[in-house]
Amino acid sequence: MALYLLYESASGYGLFLAHGIDEIGQNTEAVRNSVNDLNRFGKVVKLAAFNPFESALDALNQQNAVSEGQMTDELRNFLELSLPKVKEGKKPKFSLGVAESKIGSHIYEETKIPCQSNEFVLELIRGVRLHFDRFIENLKPGDLEKAQLGLGHSYSRAKVKFNVNRVDNMVIQAIFLLDTLDKDVNSFSMRVREWYSWHFPELVKIVNDNYLYAKLAKFIEDKSELSEDKLEGLVDILGDEDKAKEVIEAAKASMGQDLSPIDLINVKMFAQRVMDLAEYRKKLYDYLVSKMSDIAPNLAALIGEVVGARLISHAGSLTNLAKCPSSTLQILGAEKALFRALKTKGNTPKYGLIFHSSFIGRASAKNKGRMARYLANKCSIASRIDCFSESSGTSFGDKLREQVEERLDFYDKGVAPRKNIDVMKAAMENAASQGGEMDVDKASEPSSKKSKKKKSKDNDDEKADDKENAVANGDDAEPKSGKKKKKRALEMESGLTENGKENGSSAENGTEKKKKKKSKDVETDVAAVSEGKKKKKKKSAD
Amino acid sequence: MRAPMRGGGGRGGGGFSGGRGDGSGRGGRGRGGFGGRGRGGADMTRGGGRSGGRGGGRGRGGGRGGRGSGMKGGSKVVVEPHRHEGVFIAKGKEDALCTKNMVPGEAVYNEKRISVQNEDGTKVEYRVWNPFRSKLAAAVLGGVDNIWMKPGSKVLYLGAASGTTVSHVSDLVGPGGVVYAVEFSHRSGRDLVNMAKKRTNVIPIIEDARHPAKYRMLVGMVDVIFSDVAQPDQARILALNASYFLKAGGYFVISIKANCIDSTVPAEAVFASEVKKLQAEQFKPMEQVTLEPFERDHACVVGAYRVPKKQKPAS
Repeated sequence: MALYLLYESASGYGLFLAHGIDEIGQNTEAVRNSVNDLNRFGKVVKLAAFNPFESALDALNQQNAVSEGQMTDELRNFLELSLPKVKEGKKPKFSLGVAESKIGSHIYEETKIPCQSNEFVLELIRGVRLHFDRFIENLKPGDLEKAQLGLGHSYSRAKVKFNVNRVDNMVIQAIFLLDTLDKDVNSFSMRVREWYSWHFPELVKIVNDNYLYAKLAKFIEDKSELSEDKLEGLVDILGDEDKAKEVIEAAKASMGQDLSPIDLINVKMFAQRVMDLAEYRKKLYDYLVSKMSDIAPNLAALIGEVVGARLISHAGSLTNLAKCPSSTLQILGAEKALFRALKTKGNTPKYGLIFHSSFIGRASAKNKGRMARYLANKCSIASRIDCFSESSGTSFGDKLREQVEERLDFYDKGVAPRKNIDVMKAAMENAASQGGEMDVDKASEPSSKKSKKKKSKDNDDEKADDKENAVANGDDAEPKSGKKKKKRALEMESGLTENGKENGSSAENGTEKKKKKKSKDVETDVAAVSEGKKKKKKKSAD
Repeated sequence: MRAPMRGGGGRGGGGFSGGRGDGSGRGGRGRGGFGGRGRGGADMTRGGGRSGGRGGGRGRGGGRGGRGSGMKGGSKVVVEPHRHEGVFIAKGKEDALCTKNMVPGEAVYNEKRISVQNEDGTKVEYRVWNPFRSKLAAAVLGGVDNIWMKPGSKVLYLGAASGTTVSHVSDLVGPGGVVYAVEFSHRSGRDLVNMAKKRTNVIPIIEDARHPAKYRMLVGMVDVIFSDVAQPDQARILALNASYFLKAGGYFVISIKANCIDSTVPAEAVFASEVKKLQAEQFKPMEQVTLEPFERDHACVVGAYRVPKKQKPAS
């Protein structure tokens, strides 16, 4: 059986024939020694065909496909032309060695060319890489580097240009800017107060709000000119007649010094600046809210836009946040305390950024840690829904929020919260009525789960598939179709119920919980993996 | 040299402490840079795409402030070649490491440049290489025996970040060599690509170094791999890349930040365990230098890959 090697270079695809491989055998150690010497290597590996890329654009397309493990049409043509023909109904008498199993399986699916990628093939490809420039005759020294340079640049530029996280980046920038603006508006307001107080020191006592103060400073200007006829304007700004009168009284009896007109103009201009900045901050906040409702509606509904945005920015992107275990999410932002605790073997922090949500503040001191854990659980569920679900909407976020509220009540007064499964059912019904058909079959899923546990797995999988039918009781068997995103959504979905159930039934003792978790873990995994893998997982879990 | 300012800036790359020395401000403080902060990544033990991994020593860089504090006024400065080929020492009021600028007249990250007039009237420009910003420079000053990079070498550089050290490596290997610079973070990758535009021997690759198969088309066989990824599994990353791209008998230089691998055990133990891991992957570590006083709890390990056995059996 002949072994062909596919070698992707920056200048084109190369196909090499490794013959006499039987003599060398599969002993990788022996291969290694002969690989380094071109004389010996050239005897066993010969160039069979070479297909240069037509243009830089073509090369970029090929590179993109290769990095994703996909076979392009060009590669297919090249392989089918260069490899020996296979007679109908017969098994091919050769195999193709590729550097990565992913592209190998894709090639096999499409063309039925048997592929292999193992250590042995990788060693041979190493050899090809080492001697590649001497295999191709028309390749001058330096040509390959030039091709790599051009391709590297275009590939990297494309990567930066088509960043998948670009929406998240806007949120991250917005939350950073918001923090900066808060700081700046505050320090500028203090400056206005200080400055204008030389002229009208009493005003600070009457008006506490920074924005109002700046507005008043701009309106009043010279305090000596403040009289009853300006009362209306003052009332407009302050919204309170008593206060407006107080201001006028204070102005009459002020101990502030007089400022020259030019000084007053400068104060006024600065006050205007501060006002503009404060207004801009408001607009920016609205922008953040709208952005958050776009990219992470459920997360925003659960803990609010600002904390949600902070979480995203701290994790780096929504996808990163969704990948975080909830225990990580819980202490996101408290890294310093965490590592200090790890080093000194002390107590790890209970909460990080999520402390800024109102829930934890409302819990009693004893329950703060529990609340943080519960909230973190819900947040990671919400972020996963936001990240992987196709339909958008806040139905899950709202329900999760209700659950957190109920939990708060439970700690406070002992009111038993609703069962998680019921809440989730309601949320899925909500989501279904609002939008996507896929949510419908989600709704059916957990109902069958609790009692059946492992046995229900198969049902779950089938249900994932009949989403086209948009029926709530999809129990009829259908063959698996592989849609990644759906599956992922499902997986997350089952994870979600698992999580909640545990929390809901707080009466359970520890060991029971563990067992339950284990079996459920299997369920969650299973939703995502294919039939064969499933059995393996089951075994391992058992 | 000012003592390394450390601890004060140890904010783990939060907020404004950008991932690079932005153009703003000369000298010591030029480390602004919005946005490019290292993210903690999903799990906090690692530095997310490496950029954040340098949190602790965020004070490094720009060791000396202000202009004119030494290297200006080229007449007083004498540049001598270093023990390592391609590296030079500028001897003025203070000694400084430098490399010969491949793109005369341009600084990459606002580093100082030294112009020296040769006897025949030609001018050569050198760029000062700051050991507080570059672990490779720190290793050189730490007295590493051989960095295995010399003019004409092909280098695979994992964890290129914004390309500050990469630019020096590109100077070092010169027009005859190649530097494949791999960086995962898009933010710092942007700066890397911009830097590489002017240096034709740098090939920028924005891709995860964990998956060398993804960029197998872009990289040829290399002589040396330099790895500065600051990830818990960096030994594995290095081994994976070496199995694809490092020729037999090639060399590796890896900088290890103890805190990124395990922050609970002493640094020495971490280094020892990393060296063990390397040995298990066909590497032959030859020497280890600590990067004190430039970095805290860092070590640089240099060694060879797939060293042929001494006695070759006659085949």
